[in-house]
Amino acid sequence: METKNERPFIEITDLTHLYSDAENHEVKALDQVTLSVQPGEFVAIIGTNGSGKSTLARHLNALLLPTEGTVKIRDMDTLDESRLWDIRQDVGMVFQNPDNQIVAAIVEEDVAFGPENIGVPPAEIRERVEKALQAVGMTEYRMRAPHLLSGGQKQRVAIAGTLALGSRCIVFDEPTAMLDPQGRQEIVRTVRTLNREKGITVLYITHNMVEAIHANRVVVMKKGKILFQGTPKEVFSRVDELEALGLEAPLAAKVASELRKTGVPLPEGIITNEELAQALA
Amino acid sequence: MLGDITLGQYYPGNSFIHGLDPRTKIIVTLLSIVAVFLAQSVAAYAILWAMVFFVIAVSRLPFLLVLRSVKPLLFIIVLTLAMHVLIGQGETVLYQWKFIRVTEEGVAMGVKMSMRLMLLLMFSSVLTFTTSPIVLTDGIESLLRPFRRVGVPAHELAMMMTIALRFIPTLLEETDRIIKAQTSRGADFQSGSLLQRAKNMLPILIPLFISAFRRADELAVAMEARCYHGGEGRTRMHQLAYRRGDVAAFGFAVVLLALLALLRWGPLARL
Repeated sequence: METKNERPFIEITDLTHLYSDAENHEVKALDQVTLSVQPGEFVAIIGTNGSGKSTLARHLNALLLPTEGTVKIRDMDTLDESRLWDIRQDVGMVFQNPDNQIVAAIVEEDVAFGPENIGVPPAEIRERVEKALQAVGMTEYRMRAPHLLSGGQKQRVAIAGTLALGSRCIVFDEPTAMLDPQGRQEIVRTVRTLNREKGITVLYITHNMVEAIHANRVVVMKKGKILFQGTPKEVFSRVDELEALGLEAPLAAKVASELRKTGVPLPEGIITNEELAQALA
Repeated sequence: MLGDITLGQYYPGNSFIHGLDPRTKIIVTLLSIVAVFLAQSVAAYAILWAMVFFVIAVSRLPFLLVLRSVKPLLFIIVLTLAMHVLIGQGETVLYQWKFIRVTEEGVAMGVKMSMRLMLLLMFSSVLTFTTSPIVLTDGIESLLRPFRRVGVPAHELAMMMTIALRFIPTLLEETDRIIKAQTSRGADFQSGSLLQRAKNMLPILIPLFISAFRRADELAVAMEARCYHGGEGRTRMHQLAYRRGDVAAFGFAVVLLALLALLRWGPLARL
């Protein structure tokens, strides 16, 4: 993963995005953001509401275009209109609301929607749909109506939709915010499997820190800027800084930090419950 | 509360008619409707009734189910019959009382007209009973495609129908939720005058519309993210294909139409 000579999948340079709000004031949603993501990497982006993380996500497949700076996907500039459909095939998106991203009234028809749009021959669409549904474990629901599925299942259908389109990178924009705990687990598990077994590059936006634990890298954003980034261990050990930002570190990291303050000798970098239990034992 | 509204009236099955291509079924239904309008003689109506029963038998739909499709227009059918019977024109007067004048011709006309309506409803409901709305949409899109050149937005219409089919259940669920939420805050949808009750619907409609617009907006973004750019260069996973059964169905429709034409203008017109 850390092979620096490989071309980055996503390369964002000095990205600034301005928009006018309801009262015509210019708002800087993103301010000089620079970030690159390697192929196969799992990057979590955390931040409170209004930190610009969703705006950032929408730049990655040219749903939004930079006011200043550049966004490149595998060397394709998102400002280059001739590459628009290539970019959208490379970078799939899964949104927050599971209902509002499913187009068709049957699961398999919805998964086929992407490949149909780019003119894939019918036999190949069938094959892609088959594989995509299998990858997210939804094969047995292929003939169901989406409104009869649970939230977690709907999100898995949405993921299958991006896979069928041939995306090698999936951007998740708070995919679990509207799900119950079980749905959350389903999605977190699916995302990890896709990343590890299929080598899908993952950009995972969340404000639930626990879901970011398994990332290779965690990026913390505030007011359109990247504040700091590092491995989950590095980032979540800065419990006090996160709290000052209004973000809550994982429980194990918080407990470890509090214990350290009271003089219990615990090593740095405890972020999961298992690590905490081991250190205490 | 609203959960038991079913979309369309598809009655799943695997009969010969269920398995036909939707385009075949649409065209055959249209031809049958033309045939119904050609009927004038008793023999013609007898043939049409026989055909309807035959089609229902082949589709293996419960007969009562198809008969029930007449219900929404029952009032109009009865009215048609009554009008023709009571104030019909004609020579052979059967009964007369003040302005009411029942003639043989009037009765015959009334029976024919109401039978015509019933036949139309029954032929077309076999189409909607044996074809799921999704497949029907595909069929309509495919049939309209040749008319794209003269400005018929075939793909756009089909896309709208698809999205409607997808979101009607979701919006019904949402309406249900809003009604419950407003009821729990003391809203009253059951009592008061008609105007008052219509006014009371506003707290349901406004949140529903706002949410529908938000959904539409999000869906549009999601569709764009999945490379949607209209019907241009688009392929379909499911492709419609005519099979041997479709030829048989077309044959059936042509024979029916020819028979009815002969009964109207041809040597059989005397029957």
